[in-house]
Amino acid sequence: MTEALIKSNHLSLERLAAAFESLLSDSGRVRIAQGPDAEVASLVVEPTTVAELGEIVRKCESDSLALVPLAGGNTLRQIRRHPAIVGVSLSRMDRIVNYEPHDMTVVAQAGITLGKLNQAMAEYRQHLPLDPPHPEKVTLGSLVACAKAGPLRLSEGRVRDLLIGIEFIGHQGRAVRAGGRVVKNVAGYDLMKVMTGSYGTLGIITETVFKVRPVPEKWELLLAPFENASDAFEAADGLYQQLPLLHLEVLSPVVSSQISGTRKSLVVAAIGGNDAEVEYQRGLARDRLKGALSTLTDVAAFETYVRLRDVEFEDAAIEAQIAVLPAKLASCLNALQCEYVAYAGSGVARLFAREVKDAKQALELVSEWRAKARASGGHLRVVSLAKELRSAGIAMFDTVNEGAMKLMAELKRRFDPAGIFNPGCFIGGL
Amino acid sequence: MGNHLGNGGSYHFRSLNPGLIDRLRSIVGEEGLIYRASELKVYECDGWTIEKNTPELLVLPKNTAEVSAVLRTLYAEGIAFVPRGAGTGLSGGSLPLNAPVMVCTSRMNRILSIDYANRRVEVESGVVNLHVSNAVKAAGFFYAPDPSSQAACTIGGNISENSGGPHTLKYGVTTNHVLGLELVLPDGEVVELGSAVEETCGYDLVGAVVGAEGTVGIVTRATLKLTRQPEACRTFLAIFADVDSATRAVSAIIAAGVIPAAIEMMDQLIIQAVEEAFHVGLPKEAGAVVIIEIDGLAAGIDERAEQVRSLVLANGAKEIRLARDETERAALWKARKRAFGAVGRLAPNYATQDGVVPRTRLPEILREITNVSRRYNLRIGNVFHAGDGNIHPIILYDERDPDQVRRAIEAGRDILKACVEMGGSLSGEHGIGAEKMNEMPLLFSPDDLIVMAELRRVFDPLERSNPNKVIPQPGACVEVAAPRRQVAV
Repeated sequence: MTEALIKSNHLSLERLAAAFESLLSDSGRVRIAQGPDAEVASLVVEPTTVAELGEIVRKCESDSLALVPLAGGNTLRQIRRHPAIVGVSLSRMDRIVNYEPHDMTVVAQAGITLGKLNQAMAEYRQHLPLDPPHPEKVTLGSLVACAKAGPLRLSEGRVRDLLIGIEFIGHQGRAVRAGGRVVKNVAGYDLMKVMTGSYGTLGIITETVFKVRPVPEKWELLLAPFENASDAFEAADGLYQQLPLLHLEVLSPVVSSQISGTRKSLVVAAIGGNDAEVEYQRGLARDRLKGALSTLTDVAAFETYVRLRDVEFEDAAIEAQIAVLPAKLASCLNALQCEYVAYAGSGVARLFAREVKDAKQALELVSEWRAKARASGGHLRVVSLAKELRSAGIAMFDTVNEGAMKLMAELKRRFDPAGIFNPGCFIGGL
Repeated sequence: MGNHLGNGGSYHFRSLNPGLIDRLRSIVGEEGLIYRASELKVYECDGWTIEKNTPELLVLPKNTAEVSAVLRTLYAEGIAFVPRGAGTGLSGGSLPLNAPVMVCTSRMNRILSIDYANRRVEVESGVVNLHVSNAVKAAGFFYAPDPSSQAACTIGGNISENSGGPHTLKYGVTTNHVLGLELVLPDGEVVELGSAVEETCGYDLVGAVVGAEGTVGIVTRATLKLTRQPEACRTFLAIFADVDSATRAVSAIIAAGVIPAAIEMMDQLIIQAVEEAFHVGLPKEAGAVVIIEIDGLAAGIDERAEQVRSLVLANGAKEIRLARDETERAALWKARKRAFGAVGRLAPNYATQDGVVPRTRLPEILREITNVSRRYNLRIGNVFHAGDGNIHPIILYDERDPDQVRRAIEAGRDILKACVEMGGSLSGEHGIGAEKMNEMPLLFSPDDLIVMAELRRVFDPLERSNPNKVIPQPGACVEVAAPRRQVAV
């Protein structure tokens, strides 16, 4: 790019920033994106109300400007190949609107982080039991839009099981609500499901309503290393068949070394309940897991759980998530030859490839993984790629059958006729 | 138009032409068609009996290919249809409104495969809910959603209504247990949505179809999750002087962090009706009884039972009885699930309402229901899912008296309005259907409804599947409502 072009782009961005600024009630809330944000959007706008966000959406529609929700930006940085023009940050829409501990429901704006929300509910020994990595960085908006989950999915379910109400800003800047504040509700179409996992392509989520759960009275973490993965999976399955576990993982040796210091396949199982329940489960697990079972309680259990939940490979070239039939998870992972956190019982695993020679090899590896996930009845989503691999043409989302894809395209067309909401990077290029 | 059919009978079709009937007969056979007025009478309403309208023709396809061919034929002729499972719905979801043809899934009733290793079962949509649990019982599993009509209602109907049931407090409603669907779109195209695995690929279209009340086509097949039977359970009958103290006890249990499998409340009118019908030993003088069931590991369940017992007694229960064995437990549940039927003995007709309030507002809504009962001079009983604030006032009336019918409808509306004002909802599990369509604006703005209608049109752009349901016609409520309402008088 010539210097003149850069300068003129910058000037037009400044003009655009001023135009957005005029839509907001106070100044200083529109900026030209810097650093990592700039990979996702050129401008960052921070509305404080639903009405302001409605204005922003209307302006983007009339000027055909691509608009993306910008939380941490990590997910979008991975799936977007080009920055959108406008990034909306809900960092100033981060209030808990209504928490009713006795009804076990919470209404919160989409800009608050999961970590903060759970802190606020801790005094009532309640939590929103969705636990993706680093909840202190995950806003509720991104939790829902990217359908994030973690170890507790086994016992508590996923976003789709706990989200009971939603508000989002859609086409024409409309504030759309569905669901409500009650835990059982079938009035109206289930827009909560439609927005969950829609990656910002149908509108900007502004408010969420969740049912919350009691924190177990008592829980412990059981760790058991195994010489090989198939023994670990067999032992894990034995536990799963007999106990109502809070969560259950099988870790590959390298992942295991990060969690426990043991470079072996590791089964991690969380048991909870009252004293009698915990004691019984511990005893049964000892029989099942044999070997060098260690039991962690209190702070040690919590710290290990956090390491497990947040496990990351700074140097991973590729991270992906597979979902397959639960009984096929072990054989599928065995065929994939990679490092993993396997959520046994759910059929879901996070996969990591550490060293990849070049983009071509990355493409081949993802194709191979994907083929094997499909052969086990499931699919694969690429979660992140090292920067140098992002131009390799690797599809981040898997595909669905033609009939379903046609309906998805129609959903996108009807909810976002102007095509401004995070366009071009979701399934099938939506 | 009168049509002479080749089998010796003369039948009156209001709008369908004989050529169409012949084409449909060639798809489903003579045994797959019902058109005699006397036989169609059964299909004039579902469990919402206040409104009635007989379809002109009932079609009973045997498989997906037949459903597809039937819908393709109707689509080409521009004819709308109404899907129906067992007709046990309670909101008029399968009431034919501007849809002359009813398509019933009852002949598609096979369980296709059971996969214990993955805890999945694949069924045709006409399979009866309870048959799924029965088929997997010996292996130690069950299908969790358990509406009171589970001995009759179909999985397809459950999917359309996103049905609940007593045990959904702990185990979740239908949408939490459906992974994949085969859906025949209104133009006859067959699509596969979701799969047998846990994560969604792309938009969650399964989640959009579940609870869409038959307005997106006809579900023909579903992959469901199986749940392992709990090792042990304890079922209590707690007896209270009044509903206020009963609801306080319910709140105390939940606040203690115990999530029972079910907490079901019955008020005095229901207790008396049930006792007269089934003689299960309910105390007729009690103001309210609550069935509380906890389940889980055998280890620790007695401690949990003790915890529940002391919480209930500390919160005003006169007495709490533990079911001593499976027979006593089954009797309690039988009483609960047949409560609606028992009420049939008290009045010629009854309308079961379905509203939701935040659990902590239960005492208030029950007081309001008492006021409504007085205001309209109608008896109203209450049997409901107390754990999740889902009330079921049963309004007794006599359909031979037009004024009682009018009062019953208005009383129901007043109760729903009160639910919404308390931060609740119009329906917890019965659906909006025809019954509550015009109340939707109490809960949703015009913008909300516009976007919901867009979601429906993703599947059914011409609104041929179950028209005039769920979403009121903008600006035309009164005009649309007046001619279609064939209130049974």
